[in-house]
Amino acid sequence: MKFDVVIIGGGLAGLTAGVELQKKGLRCAAVAEGLTLNECPREEFIKLGGTLFPGDSVIGGHIVDDGDGKSLEWVETRNLVGTRLEAPYYILSTGKFFSRGLVSNMEGITEPVFGCDVEYAGGPSEWTVQEFFDDQPFEKFGVTTDAESRVKIGGKVIGNLYAAGEILAGRQDIVTTAQKVAEQIIGRKK
Amino acid sequence: MQDKNISKDNFEQCLKCNLCTTVCPMMAANPHYPGPKQAGPDGERYRLKDPKFFDLTLKYCLNCKRCEVACPSGVKVGDIIQKARLEFGKQHNPVRDFTLANTDLVGSLAVPFAPIVNPVMAAKPVKALMDTFIGVDSHRTFPKYSSKKFTSWFKSSKAPSQEGFDRYVHYFHGCYVNYNYPQLGKDFVTLMNACGYGVRLLDKERCCGVALMSNGFGAQARRNANTNIGAFRRAGGVVLTSSSTCTFTMRDEYEHVLGIDNSDVRDNILLTTKWLYDKVEKGEIKLAFKKDYHKKITYHTACHMNKMGWAIYSTELLRMIPGVELTVPQQQCCGISGTFGFKKENYPYSQKIGQELFDTLLESAPDVVACDCETCKWQIEMSTGLTVMNPVSILAEALDIEETKRLNRV
Repeated sequence: MKFDVVIIGGGLAGLTAGVELQKKGLRCAAVAEGLTLNECPREEFIKLGGTLFPGDSVIGGHIVDDGDGKSLEWVETRNLVGTRLEAPYYILSTGKFFSRGLVSNMEGITEPVFGCDVEYAGGPSEWTVQEFFDDQPFEKFGVTTDAESRVKIGGKVIGNLYAAGEILAGRQDIVTTAQKVAEQIIGRKK
Repeated sequence: MQDKNISKDNFEQCLKCNLCTTVCPMMAANPHYPGPKQAGPDGERYRLKDPKFFDLTLKYCLNCKRCEVACPSGVKVGDIIQKARLEFGKQHNPVRDFTLANTDLVGSLAVPFAPIVNPVMAAKPVKALMDTFIGVDSHRTFPKYSSKKFTSWFKSSKAPSQEGFDRYVHYFHGCYVNYNYPQLGKDFVTLMNACGYGVRLLDKERCCGVALMSNGFGAQARRNANTNIGAFRRAGGVVLTSSSTCTFTMRDEYEHVLGIDNSDVRDNILLTTKWLYDKVEKGEIKLAFKKDYHKKITYHTACHMNKMGWAIYSTELLRMIPGVELTVPQQQCCGISGTFGFKKENYPYSQKIGQELFDTLLESAPDVVACDCETCKWQIEMSTGLTVMNPVSILAEALDIEETKRLNRV
């Protein structure tokens, strides 16, 4: 199934980007997974003709190396058995730990869908601090990107997979990161 | 650790975030229903200690599964409630519940007398009597019975010609097609034949059992499920359906609610639109549509379609018809929930829940509403006066049959 943009994670970040992209006439599909606080953009997204897959999740994708670098060719979801979602651009906005955009265990912290590079420091005992209201180190962990918000795997940029929202390393405003990604994609499309 | 200590329904993963509560249609319409969180994972902890904690208000659950679609932690909220009802729920109105749940039996009895049964069931005095004595709401319009079963029609008029194809699919017609609306089954045969596929019926077919489950007839539902699964195994390949709820029940509820292992046939049970879309996308089937076909269609996503995540297949196929102007509003529940909305005590809630959807549909002013569920069809047609068609029927109606046959080398 072909779209202009496939959004992995239809929460606030994913759907904010989706709304911007739909407004520019790009046909978006958003696979919603995890806790999605998205009431506002969801309504708008659907009104603008966006396709939402509620309660579904992306279980994997196919990354190819075509000489000029790596890119994501298609993704598959749990519900759409046997149907691949394809698009020239993808947005990864699956959130942090609660929505399982990031998964932690004793060995480390990983991004479960593609295995994107994740920035974090130390072992489990150093990820939190005792005082609840102090800055918690884990809040800043997340995937690393290049200057254009594209994720990396094994240090190599995936040319068409952008990250937005909570999943990003550091603490950034969700809506701003989503708008930035939307602008990048709209700019490339031109 | 977590992988080892997770129950089948994931109920201990519930974080009490209440997202399920916000999407529950019954919760919004009925203050007596404690809601999915309380009825599901919360109540389950008590019921595990003592079945006395079973709460009768669980009967209000529509089994729409919107709670499961919303749950960020993968808790099978709806399944927990269904199982608790089957295990602890007692029938309160045995005559009515038996009649509503036994679609095969009642259908077989009604079809030969359809010309009498239909006007009788529509007569006001009869409705009033049923309302008073067996608790079937008098406002409810009953689906009409067909005077000939789909299977009889198929065997007498179609079966021989089906063997002329070199490829074929099995068709699970379901009770609605067989007893009430054979036209949908006929449209299915037209569509498949034009695409180059012959149609075969299963050697045995029973009602999927959804109405039995929701009315507390667990043992009978299990018998039906085992009969159907046996037939699927003997059929071997793909079994196509034209009802979203039958599909969902046979794929997911057989295992999750009835505890029957269907893993070897599950992937073969497919909704026609899902199977057809995948074939069209792979280029294995080509569709040609009439040039002069024009229709303004609003697609209603049935709750079980939403749960399966397959509405996209129906809407994408409808979009392939050049003369179709399609609107797909946000998913809403129509409120009927199978036999639920026929019951007198539920009827007001049923209509209250559906009101928002009725308004949305009427506002979009379509020529026809498309929907993959027959009970949504009854509810929408009765409550809005709009005509509701299954996407399979719309596709068959819009199809340029000769051209499609030529493209598929029939």
